[in-house]
Amino acid sequence: MIPALAYIPFINPIDLPSWLRLWTFLPLAFCVALVYRATRAHSTDRLVWRSCITFANIIVGMIVIALGAYGLHAGVLWWSE
Amino acid sequence: MAQPCDPTTKMFQAGLLAWILPGAGHWVLGQRKFALVFFLAISFPYLTGVAIGGVKTSVNASANKWLFLAELGVGGYTTGFSMLNRSIGPVKEADALKYISYYPASDVAQIYLAVAGLLNLLAILDALARAQTGGQPVFAHETQGDPSAAPGGGP
Repeated sequence: MIPALAYIPFINPIDLPSWLRLWTFLPLAFCVALVYRATRAHSTDRLVWRSCITFANIIVGMIVIALGAYGLHAGVLWWSE
Repeated sequence: MAQPCDPTTKMFQAGLLAWILPGAGHWVLGQRKFALVFFLAISFPYLTGVAIGGVKTSVNASANKWLFLAELGVGGYTTGFSMLNRSIGPVKEADALKYISYYPASDVAQIYLAVAGLLNLLAILDALARAQTGGQPVFAHETQGDPSAAPGGGP
């Protein structure tokens, strides 16, 4: 009865490993950068390059926010001791 | 009877088609490359989200109405997957693992789907703006550095 056990795309969910969760942010961020840049462009010339720059900005921004949140959390813990 | 080149008709066509299929609004406006970009950049997160979460958990108005509302930004896909969801029917408890996703897959799927739906709203607005301005983006006046180049004129 192999068909009963087979994976059917879009119907059966994918068993996503926990470590992969963070990395799924990268392709999504690139899609956001691409759509954002496309809405501001007159033509598609250099659109991918501009999207890459926006993508890098998003990544750096998210890292800075994460570090800030981590620092704030650590600071609150240190202060409350 | 409306003329084929009537801007209002063109806007309506572009907006409706962009809602049904990402990029289709730009396609009817003749901006084929932009259409391809929007199609790929919005279809990828949407289809990835449904593939990861499964249709039973991810495209379900009764399970998460706010997520469903965000997904409705891509009307064609959401209608199709919602019908697929209904066709499966209720899931027995013994089959839950086959159809229902749990953390972390369900979280990732929700984020992908919500972002795809909201990105398509942006694409719809862009299609409407380009239909109105003859192909110029709504931010054209900013990139040209001339406020008077804005659609409808500047101060």
